[in-house]
Amino acid sequence: MPQGLTRVLGGIVVLGGLLVGAAIVSAADAPTADECLACHAERGLKREKREPGRPDALFVDHAALKASAHGGLECVACHSTATAPHERLPRVRCTDCHDTVPAVLAEGAHGNRRAKARAAAPTCTSCHGTHDVRPVAAITIDICATCHVPQVSQYRKSIHGKSRGRGDSEAATCRSCHGAAHGVLAKSDSRAPTYHLNLPRTCATCHADPELAKRHNIAVGAVYQLYMDSIHGRAVSRSGLLVAANCSDCHGAHDIEPRTEPTSRVFRASVPATCGACHAGVQKDYVQSIHGREAARGNAGAPVCTDCHSAHQIRRTEAAPWQLDVIRECGTCHAESLRTYRDTFHGKVTALGFARVAKCADCHGSHTIQPASDPRSAVSPARIVTTCRQCHPDATRKFTEFQPHADPTNSARFPGLYYSWLFMTLLLVGTFSFFGLHTLLWLPRSFAERLGRRGANPPEES
Amino acid sequence: MSADGRYYFRFNLYHRILHGMVIVSFLGLALTGLPLKFSHTGWGSWLSHALGGPFTTGYLHRLFAVVTFLYLGLHLGYVVRLVLKRRPGIFWGPDSMVPQPHDLVQFYQHVRYFLGLGPRPRFGRWAYWEKFDYWAVFWGISIIGGSGLLLWFPTFFAHYLYLPGWIFNIAIIVHSDEALLAVGFIFTIHFFNGHLRPEKFPMDPVIFTGRVSEEEWRHEHPAEYERLVREGRLAEVAADPPPLWMRNFSRVVGFSSLAIGIILVWLIIATALR
Repeated sequence: MPQGLTRVLGGIVVLGGLLVGAAIVSAADAPTADECLACHAERGLKREKREPGRPDALFVDHAALKASAHGGLECVACHSTATAPHERLPRVRCTDCHDTVPAVLAEGAHGNRRAKARAAAPTCTSCHGTHDVRPVAAITIDICATCHVPQVSQYRKSIHGKSRGRGDSEAATCRSCHGAAHGVLAKSDSRAPTYHLNLPRTCATCHADPELAKRHNIAVGAVYQLYMDSIHGRAVSRSGLLVAANCSDCHGAHDIEPRTEPTSRVFRASVPATCGACHAGVQKDYVQSIHGREAARGNAGAPVCTDCHSAHQIRRTEAAPWQLDVIRECGTCHAESLRTYRDTFHGKVTALGFARVAKCADCHGSHTIQPASDPRSAVSPARIVTTCRQCHPDATRKFTEFQPHADPTNSARFPGLYYSWLFMTLLLVGTFSFFGLHTLLWLPRSFAERLGRRGANPPEES
Repeated sequence: MSADGRYYFRFNLYHRILHGMVIVSFLGLALTGLPLKFSHTGWGSWLSHALGGPFTTGYLHRLFAVVTFLYLGLHLGYVVRLVLKRRPGIFWGPDSMVPQPHDLVQFYQHVRYFLGLGPRPRFGRWAYWEKFDYWAVFWGISIIGGSGLLLWFPTFFAHYLYLPGWIFNIAIIVHSDEALLAVGFIFTIHFFNGHLRPEKFPMDPVIFTGRVSEEEWRHEHPAEYERLVREGRLAEVAADPPPLWMRNFSRVVGFSSLAIGIILVWLIIATALR
């Protein structure tokens, strides 16, 4: 072995020995848990001089400490300057070990300076505890509830909260929507998952999955896809409109409830008010209409907003596809009126996919709809001429005696029409029967004529 | 048809041009009207869109209606001209279209013939079913044309003739049902009588060529033939055999019209049976 290498190795051994010795000396200086507990096991131990923001009690529950996430650590791991006995110690700095957390916290609502200035921001111990420091999995909604009292109490009554309570591990918790606690962002922050324009995508992490909907008996499966194609979804996702409805505008956020619950915002009777939160003018008209008055009376057959407009597939009402589809929608209740409408030029042209002729709402109005007996109705005797003149500028009162919903088989209501229909039907049946029979009788004789002629006089042309 | 046999005129050029107008306008009206009446069916919707949608078919429908009124006027003018020229037998007699007692007799004889109870009646220039077709056009144009005009100009009629609006409800029913009658009748009964019955199958080109062979004439209208022989007027109607171009033209137009009609009537029947 060369002499130089031996010398270097020797030096390393000596240096190492010195370091280990120093460590042993300092360890010998640091108090053990038993030494600390000599004083801190006493339940009544209190700080001599109170310090704002720090607990008075100096008692340490050693059993809780041992059971905690920090159970394997010595006291001095956190209280690094402690000796036994000791005077006042500086605050424990969690970030000495958890050194990646401060950067994340500083970005989020729980840690950034502006948030801290506005409200009491939680410290590490507010959520994680002190000696009984909880493993992450044990940090439950109760911890959030220490500050966010109304939100959590609403959540507990919501479908998400109740499902969680029943042990449904798929139901959303605080974190599902708001993200991890350290970096949590206020919903006013455009990066937040709960920001107005981001919320649909956040809800979609669960509600874009038809399988999930099936498992949980949610009526509408691919609700996210439907919403994103709707006028609301496009306004949010394409135009970035903060005033366009996102999920929570209709369903609520912490207080979200299924539409079968009478307290839900999307409960049938509550739909007009929910939509009216934005569409106030429409709601004002609607509540005075026959549909609105009947719905308010509790008539389950009266349409609310979603019956005509749907819930998640709401489309532009100025465009032909919706205007034509809604005719069928009217017909789901007014079946007889739709049937007779389809007998007219108006009904046939719309059936062919052209919206330029009169559709239900063009004569009856939509949100302002009233029965024809009501003088406010667009088809009432007082207003019918004006209504027809929208398309037929020369319409007179005589012209408006046209029956847009006539049933030719109803002899009591439409006698003239009935007898015309009867006459025409008999004429058709009579003519076709007569000549049908004439033809059928003629056919075999004509065959015989042709065969006879061919036999007597073979055709000259091939 | 025999190329070297003798031929005689049955229809003059004016008759044939007017019947050509009837074919074009009738098929046009059917093709543009039926898609609206049957807008609830797949074929109705397809046909309407194929022809440019209900507003385009509506425009074309009115155009063919004008052609219809035009040929009606041309025909009435023709009749008036014959009257002014003091042509005998327009309103009565063997050349007249007016139904006469012998038509009833021949109908009775024809039914007996159908049932094997008697010989084939000897028809004159116009058999009773041909007269029926002729008068049916007047009836059809009055009913469909009249109701069609009401529906074309509703506010005009309501305003100036003070007609009540429910007249248009009746006009819709009458127009639609009478059109169904006309289309159903022409595309089945008229097609059978004129073209598809075995003696004439697949078609009778006489309405396009105007010429009928002696053999055909003597078979279909023996009484007329014999009358002209008796009166020595055969030479007046002698014709050259139809030239090839005319026979080809007959086939193209005739078979196309038959095909359009049969397809349409098949669609109507299929829809009714559905």
